[in-house]
Amino acid sequence: MPEIRLLNVADSMNLCFRVDELGLMFALLFASMWILVAIASIEYMKHEKRRKGFYVFYALTGVILVLAAFAANFFTYYCLFEAMTLLSMPMVLNSRSHESVMAALKYLFYSMGGAFLTLFGFFLFMTKGFDLTFTAGGCIPESAEFGTLELVGAFCMVLGFATKAGMFPMHGWLPTAHPVAPAPASAVLSGVITKAGVLGIVRSIFYCVGPDRIRGTWVQYTFLVLSMTTVLMGSMMAYQEKVLKKRLAYSTVSQVSYVLFGLATLEPVGFIGAILHVIFHSLVKDTLFLTAGAVIIKARKTLVSQLDGIGRKMPITMWCFTLSSITLIGIPPTSAFISKWYLAQGALDMDIPVIRWLGVVFLLVSALLTAGYLLTVSIRAFLYGEKDESGTEKTGQEPVTDPGLLMLVPMLIMTVFSVVLGIWPMGLSLKLLEVTKILF
Amino acid sequence: MRIIIPDICALGLSFEIGGFRLLFAIIATYMWFMTTLFSKEYMSHAGKKGRYYFFLAITYVATTALFLSGDLYTTFIFFEIMSVASYVCVIHDENELTLRAGGVYLAVAVIGGLVSLMGIFLLHHMFGTLTFEELKPLCEALLKSGDADAIRTLFIAGGCILFGYGAKAGMFPLHIWLPMAHPVAPAPASALLSGIITKTGIFGLLVLSVYVFPGNGQWGFIIVMLGVVTMLLGGILAIFSVDIKRTLACSSMSQLGMIIVGIGMMDLLGEENTLAARGTVMHMVNHACLKLVLFMAAGVIVMNLHKLNLNEIRGYGRKKPFLKLVFLSGSLGIAGIPFFNGYISKTLLHESIVEYIEVLSEQGSSNEALFRVIEWLFLITGAMTLAYMTKLFICVFVEKNVDADLQAEYDEGKPYCTPLTKFVLAITAFVMPVFGVLSKITIDIIGDMGQGFLGAKELEHQVNYFSLENLKGGLISILLGALIYLVFIRRVLLRNEDGREVYADIWPKKLDLLTLFYEPVIMVILPAVIGFICRCLDFALDGVILFLRQTTHKQVFKKEPIPAKFFMAHILGSLMNRISSVASFFMGEKVHRKKNYVLVLAGKKTLMDQTTKMVSASSAFSLMMFAIGIIAVVVYILVV
Repeated sequence: MPEIRLLNVADSMNLCFRVDELGLMFALLFASMWILVAIASIEYMKHEKRRKGFYVFYALTGVILVLAAFAANFFTYYCLFEAMTLLSMPMVLNSRSHESVMAALKYLFYSMGGAFLTLFGFFLFMTKGFDLTFTAGGCIPESAEFGTLELVGAFCMVLGFATKAGMFPMHGWLPTAHPVAPAPASAVLSGVITKAGVLGIVRSIFYCVGPDRIRGTWVQYTFLVLSMTTVLMGSMMAYQEKVLKKRLAYSTVSQVSYVLFGLATLEPVGFIGAILHVIFHSLVKDTLFLTAGAVIIKARKTLVSQLDGIGRKMPITMWCFTLSSITLIGIPPTSAFISKWYLAQGALDMDIPVIRWLGVVFLLVSALLTAGYLLTVSIRAFLYGEKDESGTEKTGQEPVTDPGLLMLVPMLIMTVFSVVLGIWPMGLSLKLLEVTKILF
Repeated sequence: MRIIIPDICALGLSFEIGGFRLLFAIIATYMWFMTTLFSKEYMSHAGKKGRYYFFLAITYVATTALFLSGDLYTTFIFFEIMSVASYVCVIHDENELTLRAGGVYLAVAVIGGLVSLMGIFLLHHMFGTLTFEELKPLCEALLKSGDADAIRTLFIAGGCILFGYGAKAGMFPLHIWLPMAHPVAPAPASALLSGIITKTGIFGLLVLSVYVFPGNGQWGFIIVMLGVVTMLLGGILAIFSVDIKRTLACSSMSQLGMIIVGIGMMDLLGEENTLAARGTVMHMVNHACLKLVLFMAAGVIVMNLHKLNLNEIRGYGRKKPFLKLVFLSGSLGIAGIPFFNGYISKTLLHESIVEYIEVLSEQGSSNEALFRVIEWLFLITGAMTLAYMTKLFICVFVEKNVDADLQAEYDEGKPYCTPLTKFVLAITAFVMPVFGVLSKITIDIIGDMGQGFLGAKELEHQVNYFSLENLKGGLISILLGALIYLVFIRRVLLRNEDGREVYADIWPKKLDLLTLFYEPVIMVILPAVIGFICRCLDFALDGVILFLRQTTHKQVFKKEPIPAKFFMAHILGSLMNRISSVASFFMGEKVHRKKNYVLVLAGKKTLMDQTTKMVSASSAFSLMMFAIGIIAVVVYILVV
């Protein structure tokens, strides 16, 4: 496979890029989401200050993300990962309000903390003399000794990347950073940047350490339990949350942990489910955040309880919201049903006695809560509130309508894809099946 | 005929056409056709017709596809689509009651769907297939193998699926949505909900009983017990109800309970289940046709009066012979009067219980007495059906309204529905006597079509529905029903209030499984408990960080000069400052002007210093005195 080697830092540390199936898939996802959200952000950002600065960092983060998907070794990935954190931070503090600065700092500290955990694992493996070039199935030689210390290193790597993916106990930055960031920034933070953490975990488990080395160890158990806990906790917190964007942020916490749970099963089917869920969740969550953004700029509403009757005024927006919600809950034939099907089968394939079914139960309870926190919004928007549309508008205010086409079209495209990919998922699944054949 | 569409929704969809499936696809089409025609007038004044017809169409497609599905995966997919799409039809009126009922409907549908998904996960994981035909031998082999672990898993999977489909079929204790959703939905939607959408739940139960637990006695017993409770509860609720559509809804629950008993009997009877299977299929078909007529007839009343309470609509149909005839046909059918369709299916279901009792008495099993009780309960449920249908019929079509002016208005003879509606009502009502009288060429053919899916053998000899033995059960039911009506409904429920006789609503409002159990548990207790734990977890790391920042990693230190004599006061005071700030943070109090404990302690210290000085001075003096005293004493002792 062709490689591009840019820079040698040390003997085994170099900036190196390579295109593989999985990286290509992630890069495509990152890039397409980035472009769609960028188009939708044009209308939203008219209502924000410091547009120029925002778009500079937006573009830089996008480039770095795509590059990260093609990283060929751990060092490269780590560097880009750090760069991404730093470059995405200014998007969070775009409004420069006190809250947004504090939230951005929290985001930064959490991410840095996570990155240092990863770095510890990286150093540990480097001192052992392992060459951490991404190799399918693991790059640590068979003969190498793999004791407790190495397991700790592997765990630190996973936990570090999981910070970005919002896994308990390091999820705290997500619900803080999302409500204050501009909606397009929340959309990509939640829909795309968290997935960089997922890619990091995939790379470290399946391309560096090797799934066989941690299968059946405490690392896997802890990872499973933590991700399961997050799945339930995120949904429960979202269910009790009143601010729409914060609710969506907690929903991300929960949904990305579905992905992590799938990876933690270390089963091929679970892996397929996880990567499918990465794609579907990106589509859905970007749409949801954009609709939340549209509601903010058009109706200036942020609380769920204020949304009564908004579906009558913004029908297309709220239809996108509803369809995406149904997808996220996993009601067939929409896409997240397919990924959850694979995730559950992967969980049941495991040999671990209690967790194998408890995990599935957690997934389903969380799906129920997802219905609780998303469908209530749709029901409020369409069915509650005053019925007659005339005479409700206050004088001097713009009427509340759907946003312009520039914002609607990306939302519609993503919504359509999130439903259609559920009906015809085989192109993706077969591709992933090939990937798993190399990995397992 | 088998149609497979591979790769759709990952596992691919498969459909089978023929027999039972074709039968129910036809019934669904017939019902949708009739209700759509009926909707034309019923919905003529309603808003958002586009939305209504759109979701009605989706529900139709999903329901038909569900009946044609050849594996549980396909069934589940269309089951979910149907549940969500029919929600929009239920809440069409968008008022408070409707939204609440719709919420319960959706909640039950989503919870049921997810629980049955768990069962489907388990089944798929165990067998690697969900196709009905392939499941049957695999499950049979597993049940015979005696592998306790695997059988337990199979029962858990079955229980989960039963939960989901049972909820749709109005099975106790998941029936709560039925009496709520039906009265508030538009009448055509109620007819469909009650007539055919509940049958999708029954379809799921049939699949479980026939393909997952073929001939398993334990499973059959569970199902029979659930069915018995459902049919009795439905009947009792219907008798107490004073709302015409609610009565019909509870009646649906009761009839579905009878069908569930039939399904259970199929498993109990094992190989010899032909009667039970035929009875089940026939009662499913009959109930669908009956509820179509009854709900549409009730719909005619609602669309004219916009009222549902029996005391208000009382006497509405006195001078409307056509409507009276239509309703009568449906009432007689559902009450199981000979020469109407309900009689035949109820007789067969009754016969299957009798047959099982015979089997039990041959074996000398102790369960015989129990099943004799069940037989009687079945007859009593039939009697209750007759009682509440008589109540409805006499109230609406025979008695006069207590308000004479209103009665005069009712009797004016204004046209109450369009010819199209009349046509629809006439056709649907015509089915009952035809099925009942010409049973050989109608309902028996339906039985023949349906029983193949249920794995029943060919019928050895044609059943004579009007033999004395078969008539006996029906007659007992009728007599008991008349007794219940005369004694209970006329004497107890019909009360004299302010000199007027009214149907009293004496069922205690509080005695409702929903408000008594489900809502407190699901809406209050579980979110509170799990929510609290999750909140703690959510705050865990943030809490640690904040704690550290308040204590060991406090960033801003005010360097104050420490006066030498107040050194201890400073250390203790600043420690207490920290503790109090941490504590106030956790208590959540916003204390803006915190007490500065250093100053407090310094003040205390000054006071203490003064006191100490005084004390020490005085104690020193007293010591001095003490010493002098001792010396004096010693000198005294020595000298004296």
